[in-house]
Amino acid sequence: MSDYDVIIIGAGAGGGIVAGVLAEAGKRVLLLERGRSLSFEDIGRDHLRNQRLSLYGHNAGPDIEGNPRVWLDGSGEPHAIRPHEGGYNNNAATVGGGTRVYGAQTWRFMPTDFRMASQYGVPEGSSLSDWPISYEDLEPFYERAEWEIGVCGDGEANSFRGPRRRPYPMPPIPTNASRQVLERGAAALGWNTFPVPMAINTKTYLGRPACIQCRYCVGFACPSDSKNGTQNTMIPRALATGACEMITSAMVERIDTDSQGKVTGVSYLTEKGGRIANMTARAKVVIVSSGAIETARLLLNSGSDRHPNGLGNEYDQVGRNLQGHYYPGAHAIMPDSVYDGIGPGVSIATCQFNHGNEGIVGGGMLANEFTKLPIIFWRGSLPPDVPRWGMANKVWMRKNFGRTQHIMGPVQDIPNPECRVTVDPNLRDKYGLPVARLAGTTHPETVRTAEFMRLKAEEWLRASGAERVWSYPSGLGMSGGQHQAGTCRMGLDPRSSVTDLWGRVHAHDNLYVVDASLHVTNGGFNPVLTIMALAFRAAERIASTV
Amino acid sequence: MLSQRQIQILRSALDRIIPADDYPGAWEAGVGEYILRQLRGDLEPLSAAYSEGLNALDDETSARYGFAFQEIGPDQQDNLLRQLEKGESETVWPIPPARFLSMLIHHAAEGYYADPANGGNKGARSWQMVGFTPADPHAPGARTDLSESEKALQ
Repeated sequence: MSDYDVIIIGAGAGGGIVAGVLAEAGKRVLLLERGRSLSFEDIGRDHLRNQRLSLYGHNAGPDIEGNPRVWLDGSGEPHAIRPHEGGYNNNAATVGGGTRVYGAQTWRFMPTDFRMASQYGVPEGSSLSDWPISYEDLEPFYERAEWEIGVCGDGEANSFRGPRRRPYPMPPIPTNASRQVLERGAAALGWNTFPVPMAINTKTYLGRPACIQCRYCVGFACPSDSKNGTQNTMIPRALATGACEMITSAMVERIDTDSQGKVTGVSYLTEKGGRIANMTARAKVVIVSSGAIETARLLLNSGSDRHPNGLGNEYDQVGRNLQGHYYPGAHAIMPDSVYDGIGPGVSIATCQFNHGNEGIVGGGMLANEFTKLPIIFWRGSLPPDVPRWGMANKVWMRKNFGRTQHIMGPVQDIPNPECRVTVDPNLRDKYGLPVARLAGTTHPETVRTAEFMRLKAEEWLRASGAERVWSYPSGLGMSGGQHQAGTCRMGLDPRSSVTDLWGRVHAHDNLYVVDASLHVTNGGFNPVLTIMALAFRAAERIASTV
Repeated sequence: MLSQRQIQILRSALDRIIPADDYPGAWEAGVGEYILRQLRGDLEPLSAAYSEGLNALDDETSARYGFAFQEIGPDQQDNLLRQLEKGESETVWPIPPARFLSMLIHHAAEGYYADPANGGNKGARSWQMVGFTPADPHAPGARTDLSESEKALQ
């Protein structure tokens, strides 16, 4: 006898959508979230403690204390890392997950992104592979995500886009000074540009108002609730059915299996009155939607006599191919101000170089950057020769904050199977659970592509009339962060993948992964709309089988 | 806790790192308050480094000029800080002088350019200076209470 039809672990981009679809299909759903539900005021406006700059803490979890990870450096030396420190590769732990505080760029991947190995061959040492599904398979669910979450954009303007049946439900974000300048530069180069698609309301949509253009999108919550994540769309829909119970501050310890190895439910821990309580729940299906690092960690921590290496890990695939995005780019000083204070700031993009670059594997989208907080600007947007202090620095800041353009974009990561999540044999979190251990780097081809894209960003800025342009080359390292993906990739062969083409874990009828862990490759785009589309697709399937 | 003398040296150094013009210098903008608050909070592990570094700056200045740091002229202060930034010292430092300078510079920028709620950037003057003019989250058109979707999650 099951307590629930479905237990979902993680109320982020993937889990929130699965909860909504399944609850509306009449399924009894338990949605477990390790973080708390955070209001706008809880998240606040702290320029030093947010998801964009976390010098001393985060605004959306996890708590700094009690949630460490281990990072292995190049020599194999372990380092304990707290959630706000570099190398942790954090994503927000709260209701809505990363979508609570993201910038909300909501891109479809391109058709070629689903067949990277066929298109480019497999670079030596990489695990580059085609997806087991195509853009055409996912297209109806991209559409559903755009309409049910709420995305604005111009569906026709990107000449490199894949086919689409319906336009975006809302017109694109308004233009700004930066876009006008960059449009002229791109036109001079013959490059196609268009407004960035975003999960931001440009008109009243699904009962919430249009964006007030406050320019605190990325890293913060939205004051007018015009930025769309699962916390203000699919999760409220799930709860409104009465069929979904959401428990926050609930940390899943393990996925439980019976003596035959069949998944029966989960054991989880909650904090009640300062004490940790052990809980269990039983369900017909368990869905893991905890993000690429925590999903892998949970599967690895759920071993038993029958599954000594963790669930889904018969072929040592869980946790491999960790990838996010390199973000090459360039800065420039423009002759006049390009700052008009109109948020979100990011307003123009090109897909001219996502594919078809001579001698390069893949590529990526380029866009201008979100409005920067002044302290972020000071830390990251100064040319190398400007003094970091003194009157010269102050005068430079005053003169150039509004005249600086920054173009950058996510490069399609070439996966390395040795860039991976395991569990640390020594360090445990505040619940006593082994923590995630991260090791490895991206494949060197990623760095080569990043260098190619950096020079394209410079070219765009020069053609737009920049007085001076500067940029910094990329080195070999790990990419994960908020775009973390790839650790439980989908595929047809259990020896080289963790789930089937629906996200069902090989050899487990009733265990699914629904988050960016599934991504075989991560596109040259922010990955969230692909997470959402896969979630709608998996949820329909699960609803028809439970 | 820093002594009064250490705080005087800190103030003089910060006001060379971000000097006053028609916008306030570091100290007037509240950078000192930001740093002193942080040394009791997030930066508590660096309080010894601050104390030792300020004493070393005091010793270095005395050895070179025969005066305290806050007593020499601004050009001399700038020259000294520039040399220390490159790691050039004449006296023995318990922490590398370049590291001490880098720490001061970063914390000064945080106090000067971050949000006033962190204790610095009084009156958000640095934001006016650079032209960062954030919309007020409580202005008409924005909301001050929970949205319907947030209420549903409570």
